[in-house]
Amino acid sequence: MSPAATASGPARPGGTLRRLLSARNVVVAAATALALLLPLFGSNFFVEFVMTRTMILGIAAATIVFLAAYGGMISLAQYLLAGVAGFMVGNAVVAQDAWSKGLKLGWNPWVAVLFALAVTTFVAFVLGALASRTTGIYFLMITLTYAVIGYYVFGSITPLSGFGGITGIDPPGLFEDHPQRMYLALVVLSVLVYVAFRVLAATPFGLALQGIRDDPVRMASLGFNVSLHRTLAFTLAGFTAGLAGVFNVWWNGQIDPTSISIGPTLDLLIVAVIGGTLSLEGAWLGAFVFVTANNYLRNLPLVDHIGITEARFNTIVGVLVLLIMILSPDGLAGIIDRVRKGLRRLIQQPPGSGAGPAEAATGSSP
Amino acid sequence: MHTDAATAASADRPGSLLNLEAVVVAFGGLQALGGVDLQVWKGDRLALLGPNGAGKTTLFNVIAGDIKPTTGRVTIKGIDCTELPARFRPRLGVARTYQKTRLFRGLTVEDNLYLAQTGRSGRHLALLRSGVDTEFRTRARAMAETVWLADVVGVTAGDLSHGQQRQLEIGMALVTGPEFVMLDEPASGLSRGERERLVQLLLSLDPDITLLLIEHDMDVALRAAQRVVVMNEGHTVASGTPEEIRVDPLVHAIYLGSEAGLTGAGP
Repeated sequence: MSPAATASGPARPGGTLRRLLSARNVVVAAATALALLLPLFGSNFFVEFVMTRTMILGIAAATIVFLAAYGGMISLAQYLLAGVAGFMVGNAVVAQDAWSKGLKLGWNPWVAVLFALAVTTFVAFVLGALASRTTGIYFLMITLTYAVIGYYVFGSITPLSGFGGITGIDPPGLFEDHPQRMYLALVVLSVLVYVAFRVLAATPFGLALQGIRDDPVRMASLGFNVSLHRTLAFTLAGFTAGLAGVFNVWWNGQIDPTSISIGPTLDLLIVAVIGGTLSLEGAWLGAFVFVTANNYLRNLPLVDHIGITEARFNTIVGVLVLLIMILSPDGLAGIIDRVRKGLRRLIQQPPGSGAGPAEAATGSSP
Repeated sequence: MHTDAATAASADRPGSLLNLEAVVVAFGGLQALGGVDLQVWKGDRLALLGPNGAGKTTLFNVIAGDIKPTTGRVTIKGIDCTELPARFRPRLGVARTYQKTRLFRGLTVEDNLYLAQTGRSGRHLALLRSGVDTEFRTRARAMAETVWLADVVGVTAGDLSHGQQRQLEIGMALVTGPEFVMLDEPASGLSRGERERLVQLLLSLDPDITLLLIEHDMDVALRAAQRVVVMNEGHTVASGTPEEIRVDPLVHAIYLGSEAGLTGAGP
């Protein structure tokens, strides 16, 4: 489960290059290139709706995967933290004379981004500090509680939002009326987040986080401050979720408490589960499947007879999640990994029988 | 020779590393430790013996800080550690292993041995690798060799055999460069040959390292230790050299049952 990069011995000549050229990295690089070139041949709807939303959800889901795969924490607060950033942007940028709720500070949109990320990071630190003493199902329940509390906080404190929410939130001039630019920025941000999380896993901090995932008691007896470590990881994930939240509110142009309620919170968990909670790539893969299902599958024959639109979508996604969970608890990424290993075994069958120790050592990575 | 008097008499001997005073641990109605006094000196090789449920592991957990005593006092190197959580122990040079292996199963052998060192150094929050890390890595690989894991340094700990996991467990304690090592049943589940290697490893440790050992295997315990303390039902009931313990009738009665010959436990 540990990233291949952490298994490093003294760097063998050419070893670094060979490690960078692993099948996993090549596929990710190809997917990135495809995503960057997509505006050249994809339809406007596909790029500006399906893929833009995929990138936003992918980044947010990647924070769930980061906490789960490296920290052993399944967090339901990530959509809330994205929402905190969204509400802060909304409060900061909407002009005083606009027809909207919120503080209407009328700030420069880039200043608003810094403000929103600072507030989100702080909130994540406080929430993380409170939750960091728990693990497993208790951590999940506490973060679920955060999500519910967040819904009521923004709904009840009317100067900040109220249940009606904040409307008319414009993105900065760079992205306003340039949805393709926003899409490209999101692709770049996705790559940065992905690389950052993977590099982090091989740092002393990341290794210690994985140690805490595997055995917090041992880590404490080795002198680690386990809850501080968990808190800092949660804070980092919160900051990253905040980045997704900023783009989300730019893309939507509005935000209200319902958009961060239980429904969307669980949707994000479903995205992570579809992709595979132990695989960073899975976050974007899961987001793509989720958004595609949301946009296209509801009009299929037979399916269009199921209830109203939302029920139709939920039925499809429900069946999809059920199928994936039965086939592979590690989601789509787990299925792909298994197919890849199966193929390799088929190819390698003739010379020797069974996998060598080298294969066991490289293993799979989150 | 029967404990309490012996430890009390020598309580003020200089070089005392660990001092337990009237340690009581009660889990609800069950009293796991009923007022234990124990003193360990620098360089001591002490084995704790006793039947299952005697309170050996509980005593271990109290010393390691995983359990706070209900009453009593724990002093390590003159510092009162009764209330200090486990994570402050490594700074006092204390390292321990667990009866049930506690490894980072998703990480490689080398990463396990590397992580074991970073906790004490304060490097674990670092986002960049530095020269210290290279040093830790070098030491991790050297320790892998010491505990016979040199050819599996790149293997994930969860994929090791049981015996290898026990070796790694000990390696993770020794790699921290401890002054005081606590081993909880290091020989459990090991084959005969592996036990022999373990004894050789323990005997080859730096004489300055203090060793506290819980062991069910009498052969391992009596060979690796210079002093033995026997526990029963939450109390220390006897202490002495391995030779004295081998022939102690009280130990025969409570620990081995009357018919089991202590001398028969040898090789």
